[in-house]
Amino acid sequence: MVQSFEFKQCITLLKSTGKKACTLRELRERIAGASDESILHHTYQYFLKGHILEYTNDFAQWAGSSLEERALAEQLSNIDPYDYDNVGNVRSKFLETLDQYLSTFPEPRPVIPGDEFFFNETVMLIYPSGIRVKNLAEFLMAIKYVDKSSLYYHFYEARQRLGSNHDDFTVWFETVLAKKDLVYAIRAIDPFMHTLEGIREQITRIVEAEVQHDMAFAGVES
Amino acid sequence: MIAQYKHVTPKGDILLLQKLGEKLRGKSFLHINSTKEGGGVAEILHRMIPLLNNLGINARWEVIEGNARFFDITKKIHNALQGNAEAITNEMWEIHYEVNSSNAEKLNLEADAVLIHDPQPAPLVTFKKGGTWIWRCHIDVSSPYPAVWQRLKSYCEHYNAAVFSVAKFAQAMPIDEFIIPPAIDPLSEKNRDLTAEEIRETVQKFGIPLDRPVLLQVSRFDRFKDPLGVIQAYRKVKKYNDCVLVLAGSPASDDPEGEAVLNEVREYASDDPDIFILLLPPFSDKDINALQRTATVVLQKSLREGFGLTMSEAMWKEKPVIGGAVGGIPTQIVHGVTGFLVHSVDGAAFRIRQFLNNPEMARRMGEAGREYVRTNFLITRQMRDYLAVWYSAINKGKETLEL
Repeated sequence: MVQSFEFKQCITLLKSTGKKACTLRELRERIAGASDESILHHTYQYFLKGHILEYTNDFAQWAGSSLEERALAEQLSNIDPYDYDNVGNVRSKFLETLDQYLSTFPEPRPVIPGDEFFFNETVMLIYPSGIRVKNLAEFLMAIKYVDKSSLYYHFYEARQRLGSNHDDFTVWFETVLAKKDLVYAIRAIDPFMHTLEGIREQITRIVEAEVQHDMAFAGVES
Repeated sequence: MIAQYKHVTPKGDILLLQKLGEKLRGKSFLHINSTKEGGGVAEILHRMIPLLNNLGINARWEVIEGNARFFDITKKIHNALQGNAEAITNEMWEIHYEVNSSNAEKLNLEADAVLIHDPQPAPLVTFKKGGTWIWRCHIDVSSPYPAVWQRLKSYCEHYNAAVFSVAKFAQAMPIDEFIIPPAIDPLSEKNRDLTAEEIRETVQKFGIPLDRPVLLQVSRFDRFKDPLGVIQAYRKVKKYNDCVLVLAGSPASDDPEGEAVLNEVREYASDDPDIFILLLPPFSDKDINALQRTATVVLQKSLREGFGLTMSEAMWKEKPVIGGAVGGIPTQIVHGVTGFLVHSVDGAAFRIRQFLNNPEMARRMGEAGREYVRTNFLITRQMRDYLAVWYSAINKGKETLEL
């Protein structure tokens, strides 16, 4: 019997660490001492917010909108967490970028009170969406309508959970459906460059083409 | 009852509520605050308790009793936590404790989870008998008067966890601190859809003219809500756009300053026939709903704010909103997307004029606001988060919980 794919979805419950930064130097020191969970929340989990804001992680957003250090915000925004094997390496890249900036502009201004950077962590709750699919055609129907948090959980969060920079979808396509070309095509999507809705569109387009190809191969007219 | 929300709130919230309901079924959940009416906490508890029971959780709500002296002290504590320099003497702290002590004798404090709302009943934790105790702070404590916060903190540290509305309110404490924004109930009398006839009834009752744009602020008569600043902004706008201003609020039994502020507002408004100051009796929810639906622009020009849910109420009704950039208002208003944030009377006046002169922009922001509220500020999301905090406290130390 074919092993089905169960769509799960998630929410994050925000937890304060009680730590904050008023200046770039403080931000640098706090990033150096923050828990992995906190770094993960402010970088990887930023994708759950759906890119409503200008930059691509909380540190860049704060540097740009609160400190008005826009050049730095662009540099921090260009750090793609999915380019790194683990949170520690992402942390190092942020520290390196901040150190470089501080060596050129050693006296950045503090923020106005109340606008400090607040370090948070999360507790993630994962639960079944009630959607389970057995083949690619069913997957195509489901991917169009599942909650955005399902896309986050299976496409983004999976990369840390599986530790291989792979996502849940392609693992299923590879191990259960033996769809190697489909796996290559989905893995070629750059997770950093899309919103969750953008990811939905990309996957839908690729899977749709694969389903049509299968139908044509089987002699079924679409 | 939860089923009624299926067509309004995100499906995922309902799913998770049902899952958490299964895990916590039959357990008891006690909420305690200091007023049965007036203010956002009482309002949401009226709706949340039956919904929690509907999920199979034994939820109940108790209110502590106190005399005028007690509420005078707790109002001072409230103001100090929002940054005012207030002298709270040892004798006053003793009264705060003693009133809670006598309430603890009368109330049944036994429950699997106890959620204590705000500073008034915070000392009840001293009489904890078991279960998970959570302190829920609804007010802006981002810059508290230090001596008052230190004293209150000595109670807070005895809780299993604390909940704040916005990340910047959280203070360093040796307990878990969660961030949960409050929420509105889309099906309550205050937010449900109204018929044209229902809206007309309210408008006629208060004699509000509809031949000009209507500016509205709904809030307690409290200096932190800056009602005088709203009148100043209205006067600046009035030079360019003829309009009327409605300031509407209900008294709260735990706010002894309300009457004094109301008198200040009346005096400042003078005899301007286009300013309507409405002191609404408790449970005027349908009238508030009708006023919000009548308004052209809705303001919450607070100087300090716990969260400012009137913004979400207005956004739910697709109204263009202008809010002071304080407390939880920036959490609700994405500046330029779901409304405008302002920092001054001039800022408020300018943004009002922008909305009055650009109805298409006002419509677009109103629509974006409703969707933002649907996904972030409805009661189902808040209940989901409270239950998730409780479930997380039971599973302390785990960063990922699979249901």
